[in-house]
Amino acid sequence: MSTPIIEIKNLTKSFGTNMVLKDFSTTIQKGEVVGIIGPSGSGKSTLLRCINFLEIADSGSISIAGEEVLVDNKGGHSVPALKIAQLRTKVGMVFQQFNLFPHLTAIQNIIAGPKYVLKEDQKEREQKARDLLEMVGLSEKMDHFPEELSGGQQQRVAIARALAMNPEVMLFDEATSALDPEIVGEVLSVMRKLVDDGMTMLVVTHEMGFVRQVADRVIFMDEGKIVEEGPPSQLFDNPKHPRTKDFLSAILSHTE
Amino acid sequence: MLFNVDNAYAALGVLSLGLLMTVFLTIICGATSLVAGVFVALAKMSKRRWLRAITGSYVTIIRSTPLLVQLIFIYYALPFVGIRLNPLSAAYIGLSLNVTAYLSEVYRGGIEAVSKGQHDAAAALGMKNSVAMRRVIFPQALRTLIPTLGNYIVSLFKDTSLASVVTIQELMFKGQIIAAQNYDYMTIYAMVFLLYLAVGYPAIRFVTYLEKRMKNGYAVKKASKRKVGVAQ
Repeated sequence: MSTPIIEIKNLTKSFGTNMVLKDFSTTIQKGEVVGIIGPSGSGKSTLLRCINFLEIADSGSISIAGEEVLVDNKGGHSVPALKIAQLRTKVGMVFQQFNLFPHLTAIQNIIAGPKYVLKEDQKEREQKARDLLEMVGLSEKMDHFPEELSGGQQQRVAIARALAMNPEVMLFDEATSALDPEIVGEVLSVMRKLVDDGMTMLVVTHEMGFVRQVADRVIFMDEGKIVEEGPPSQLFDNPKHPRTKDFLSAILSHTE
Repeated sequence: MLFNVDNAYAALGVLSLGLLMTVFLTIICGATSLVAGVFVALAKMSKRRWLRAITGSYVTIIRSTPLLVQLIFIYYALPFVGIRLNPLSAAYIGLSLNVTAYLSEVYRGGIEAVSKGQHDAAAALGMKNSVAMRRVIFPQALRTLIPTLGNYIVSLFKDTSLASVVTIQELMFKGQIIAAQNYDYMTIYAMVFLLYLAVGYPAIRFVTYLEKRMKNGYAVKKASKRKVGVAQ
């Protein structure tokens, strides 16, 4: 755990007068699983979207696999759009609303990135897609359209789609928040497989049990800043900051 | 008799030729507009301001003036600035310019209606904007737009009757010629009416069918295939 995959330095982002990220810095090591928790509006999702350049931060810098992007407050980047697109291929993202392509079948969704972005040859990308579908347990749903799949199945396809790009790191933006409680588990078990395979992961979630089990480090965010961070045992069982204590007691009393 | 069968029969051959011209104009102008409309729509959404300005004014001018006036202007006024077009070219250009403007607005609406999540997902896979548009956004937009586009093509089919003012011998024009010779307005224009109906009605029904089919979602085609598979 000594190779940084993502380095975020002094990242700041506002929407209008609302400052969502305040001078945010952190480093994610290769193979590390980081859980990001905090109240809604604390900037967790914005942080993930900035790492993938879906939102453009106002200032600061983001390094992905050693390539640094300085963000300036005029909304431009020090690197052109093509470079951004290329950096994005190293970062897989899973969305709360799945965002599968509705006009493509499950396997076509997974193949889309390798086909149109990586330009892999047909045999290679199809074999990879089949392997990924098997990994997420949906081989028999290969030719189904997203509308024919349950939310949990759609999200598993979405995870496979992100993995098909062979990313260095995976971002999960509340990947289970839109799912019915009884099917959250099927998505979490796929995510657990990735943890076991040594994937570097940033997981924004409200599933505290999952974070406690799999995370190497937990970041508690509030008002665009890291309030407290540490290994799950420390953060959950022995929180130092009163804001962390309040948040955890509110969440845990709610779930129990 | 109000409707003279002999006159109708005598006129049928000439009127059919007119209908052929009407359908021909619909096909060439429709095909041109269906393609050109996409590019005008993309230009209207471009980051380049000058491109937005040019296409924006084009669409506004076309939409705020009557097609009849546009056709007359192209055929009868442009020769005074040295642009002399034969009737078919004038009709082709006039109708295509008109329909392209309307279709570009249809395409733009459809493209803008595709959810932000689709843009995000395509971008997150590292797709360039052009690739995302071609492979993700446009196919979804097009699918929802097919019935609307179909309606515009049916409108074009009817609007080609205006090309008679630039002396195109389409169905309406042929009818006028014959009626001016035999004065049997009732029979001739009833025939013209029926011939438009003979093509227009099935076309409208087809558009309605497309609309219904679209509401059934993406899986429909495959589901019907599956049923066939089971039967075998």
